[in-house]
Amino acid sequence: MMLSVENIDVFYGAIHAIKGISFDVNEGEIVALIGANGAGKSTTLKTISGIMHPRNGKITFLGEDITHTDGYKLPAKGLAQVPEGRRIFLQMTVMENLEMGAFVQKKPTEEDFENVFTHFPRLKERRSQIAGTLSGGEQQMLAMGRALMSHPKLLMLDEPSMGLAPILVEEIFNIIREFHAAGTTILLVEQNAEMALQVADRAYVLESGVIALSGTGKELAESDAIKKAYLGG
Amino acid sequence: MMGILSNLISGISLGSIYAIIALGYTMVYGIAKMLNFAHGDVIMVGAYICYCAISYLGLPPLVGIVMAICVCTVLGIVIEGLAYKPLRSAPSLAVLITAIGVSYFLQNSALLIWKSDPKVFPSIVKSMQPVQLFGGQLAISGITIVTVLCCVVVMTCLTLFISKSKTGKAMRAVSEDKVAAQLMGINVNGTISVTFAIGSGLAAVAGVLLCSAYPTLIPTTGAMPGIKAFTAAVFGGIGSIPGAMLGGILLGIIELFAKSYISTQFSDAIVFAVLIIVLLIKPTGLLGKKVSEKV
Ligand SMILES: Nc1ncnc2c1ncn2[C@@H]1O[C@H](COP(=O)(O)OP(=O)(O)OP(=O)(O)O)[C@@H](O)[C@H]1O
Ligand SMILES: [Mg+2]
Repeated sequence: MMLSVENIDVFYGAIHAIKGISFDVNEGEIVALIGANGAGKSTTLKTISGIMHPRNGKITFLGEDITHTDGYKLPAKGLAQVPEGRRIFLQMTVMENLEMGAFVQKKPTEEDFENVFTHFPRLKERRSQIAGTLSGGEQQMLAMGRALMSHPKLLMLDEPSMGLAPILVEEIFNIIREFHAAGTTILLVEQNAEMALQVADRAYVLESGVIALSGTGKELAESDAIKKAYLGG
Repeated sequence: MMGILSNLISGISLGSIYAIIALGYTMVYGIAKMLNFAHGDVIMVGAYICYCAISYLGLPPLVGIVMAICVCTVLGIVIEGLAYKPLRSAPSLAVLITAIGVSYFLQNSALLIWKSDPKVFPSIVKSMQPVQLFGGQLAISGITIVTVLCCVVVMTCLTLFISKSKTGKAMRAVSEDKVAAQLMGINVNGTISVTFAIGSGLAAVAGVLLCSAYPTLIPTTGAMPGIKAFTAAVFGGIGSIPGAMLGGILLGIIELFAKSYISTQFSDAIVFAVLIIVLLIKPTGLLGKKVSEKV
């Protein structure tokens, strides 16, 4: 098992945002975490990547207990996250952003950059541009490319389709498939349940900090409860 | 004419010292989003360390300077770790009050160790003769030349460091977005410590230069230059490294001209009046803008 989350409780002060959830991600899978606004999806990802720490429970990554590991030590272990809202470095160039993605390596190689540019040719044209001047879609590509630079074993994506036009959403999901085909395990957080359930091997539905449902992507896409709540029918 | 030129040179020299101090303020502000009001007092500590090394231990000035830099660098890391790090998520007012507390702590410690009697700071450029220009009408002292050279070297090295080195880029990343920086694997706390270390090391250099030009050393020596340098950092655009440099040098020139041509007593008031006017016209300071290079 690549990632296992056991019974974690996460708080913001007095707010109990995650209430004892457990799930796991196996090597080579695409696992989706779906749910409404405020369900606790981002909080879950932030807790796995060490931005926050759970009050109870345990998180294991590649056999190692990382529950209380400092977040900055995790990328070197093979964990990368594309955070909600992209959070690229707006004042740096595209190239510098990619370099930061490879921070845990000694020095990024030409191949590392080329690898990103094969997935995102548009970034290559804009390599010297200041990231803050990129369009929203390009910024999302940069955020994903930046995460790819560290060659993660597990890539966590927080709403990569947020705010993008349908055609770009399609493109982003195709790229997620490419990442996966290249051997990266993926944990995907999405509000766009339809798209997420299409690509996911398995999915968990989060509701107010608890896991309400789980199953294969196909099962969930066909379940009546999901159709009603998330797929508009 | 020679008078103007002479004042200009003195102004640039004084401004170079302000600029080196202002770099510390601006770097720390850029990365930790706090005003380290104890920064001025680190200058004073640096000057005392250098003074002790030269006058008590009889060491050569260069060794004294290196010792001052080392002590201040460590002091900067310790201040950050003990006083500011525990307040990382505290309201900024609490941090500001803590910084003022650290400032008094340093001044009072200096008072205990070195007493209140003024120390006469030894010259660090004894062997250097003033440079005579225009057939002796204009003399530029050795310390003036050394100060301006130091400033140029510091500015060049720091700019290269920030734009090219891995640590420098990490500093820029942390200054922009701490969470994103951490997701890249950057040790945010470590990077903040490095910033304090660099700023405090520079403060030591500024302290030695300041006391070489104005050789009276007392425990409050750092306070006024600290405030002026802070002003210079705001003047140039706080968070901006070229801004700190420009702000510092302009401040030095304005101060010297105000002293020479308007009033010695009012010179500080004039300096602050200019600052207020600049901030009214351009609230972000001369080089401060939203998408500027920040540290
Ligand atoms: N910084 C914070 N302080 C206090 N409460 C927070 C904070 N961040 C999130 N919360 C609360 O925690 C709960 C879960 O938030 P979270 O951001 O994980 O939701 P989400 O599922 O990612 O939602 P969205 O789809 O809107 O991004 C929400 O009730 C939210 O109000
Ligand atoms: Mg979210």
